[in-house]
Amino acid sequence: MSFLRVEDVVAGYGAHDEILKQVGISVEPGEIVSILGPNGAGKSTLLKTIAGLVAPRSGTVEFIGGSIAGLRPREVSRRGVVFVPQENNIFPSLTIEENLEIGGHLAKAEYREHLAKVYDRMPDLAARRRLPGGALSGGQRQLLAMAMALMVGPRLMLLDEPTAGLSPTAADDLFGMVSAIRHDGVAIAMVEQNALRSLMVSDRAYILVDGRNARSGAARELAQDADIRRIFLGEA
Amino acid sequence: MEPVNDIAQLVVNGLMSGAILAVPAIAFSLIFAVLQVSNFSVAAHIALGAYAAYVVNTVLGLPIVAAVAIAFVAAGVVGVASDHLALKPLRRHGPITVAIASMALNLVLENMLRFGFGNTVQALNIPVYRDWVLGGLHIAPQQFYNFLIAAAVMVALFCLLAFTSIGKAMRAVADNPVLADIKGIDPEFISRLAVFIGMGLAGIGGVLIALDAAIEPTVGFRVILPIFAAAVLGGLGNVAGAVAGALLVGVAEELSLLVLPVAYRSAIGFFAIIIALLFFPRGILGKR
Ligand SMILES: Nc1ncnc2c1ncn2[C@@H]1O[C@H](COP(=O)(O)OP(=O)(O)O)[C@@H](O)[C@H]1O
Ligand SMILES: [Mg+2]
Repeated sequence: MSFLRVEDVVAGYGAHDEILKQVGISVEPGEIVSILGPNGAGKSTLLKTIAGLVAPRSGTVEFIGGSIAGLRPREVSRRGVVFVPQENNIFPSLTIEENLEIGGHLAKAEYREHLAKVYDRMPDLAARRRLPGGALSGGQRQLLAMAMALMVGPRLMLLDEPTAGLSPTAADDLFGMVSAIRHDGVAIAMVEQNALRSLMVSDRAYILVDGRNARSGAARELAQDADIRRIFLGEA
Repeated sequence: MEPVNDIAQLVVNGLMSGAILAVPAIAFSLIFAVLQVSNFSVAAHIALGAYAAYVVNTVLGLPIVAAVAIAFVAAGVVGVASDHLALKPLRRHGPITVAIASMALNLVLENMLRFGFGNTVQALNIPVYRDWVLGGLHIAPQQFYNFLIAAAVMVALFCLLAFTSIGKAMRAVADNPVLADIKGIDPEFISRLAVFIGMGLAGIGGVLIALDAAIEPTVGFRVILPIFAAAVLGGLGNVAGAVAGALLVGVAEELSLLVLPVAYRSAIGFFAIIIALLFFPRGILGKR
């Protein structure tokens, strides 16, 4: 039994109902899994399908043995699978602390404990906790989005391009944070454009092309693969 | 009366009437913030609140506080039911469709009131006090009490939005309903709650207006323009802005009496909307 198991999933949006033509991935407890591929391959659609924002037309989406296909987003989150979208992933008019409070909406009993942990890990957020979320820089915004997800004590985090638009140092910080979160036993599936650096922190990776699985394997091996270096890293 | 005092008196009157407008204006803005639609049936819910107050106060002989509470609940319940039946099915066709449908809904609700209560103008059973005179300014005690009720209602709403878990959830849905859903909040439930509170507040606005004027089915429709103007001035969806907008419109309406015949008073609402759209497209407080 897999932790997260996605198999033969077909999904899309309204008239474009076959964006994912046939996709399968799995994530084991405590793993970091990268999902890579060209723009428009369906990576975000895959995360949205797991998160309950897109209902699959067919296929399997299971978490710890139970189907989560077609559940509402809040029901998926309640099972411990928390999605952090690429954009619009914080509440700009709420203060940072209010954002964290909403983040912990599904784990109210552990609010104090989770808040202390998050502030401990991200002291920048603690210092700015009375500011509106909209006042944060891109890197801090992304940290806040992850911190909100941590407020429920998730078992699996789905991150969509967490380093998009960040400076190299902010991206480094963020990858460091991802490793630290995994260290606490949280599994992570992340979509990244920053392929090589993402592979460096990942255990395994999947490559999607045009709504289908193209390659998959150990991150270290994929990072060495000549084909992959050529396609994703622009090497000759 | 000397002119300076005259202006001060008009400003005081304007603040008093503006505070009453502010209650339905924040209702309009709250509903807009959470559902992203303009619901003009606020007007009929004002009338509904006024009639609820009439039944509770004049017919049953209960005090005004009871009228306020019952008007809130009655208008809130009718608001949720009418939204569910008439507007929610149209939401996927976009905000303009819903706004137009809300005007049709408003006519239906007003005519139901007319059917139930007739066209005869009604009034609440309240004592008439003599004006207080403070430093040359006249203040009608009833107007002042209305001002206090309006202020108390607004403080209660702000506390709800700022300090309670459900209020924060409401602001979260207003910001981003999809993200709120991911965080465990049911946006549909929050939308219904916003409509309940919003239309309930419109009902309270109706009681306040009824304390000051006659009750008839179009009592809300006659003030919907300045209410909409107040909400637009404040920046649609900005609840604090709606209060500022309402006070501004109230004062401007009174001051217009200095230069315009009273018949043109309602032009102030139009004028305020144009000013807002031209110079403060995001509201006089600048942001949301
Ligand atoms: N809401 C949507 N409605 C219709 N088509 C969409 C929507 N979102 C994405 N798409 C389309 O789905 C395809 C895959 O998009 P996406 O999953 O975002 O790709 P990726 O994240 O791999 O860049 C693209 O062709 C995109 O245009
Ligand atoms: Mg994407």
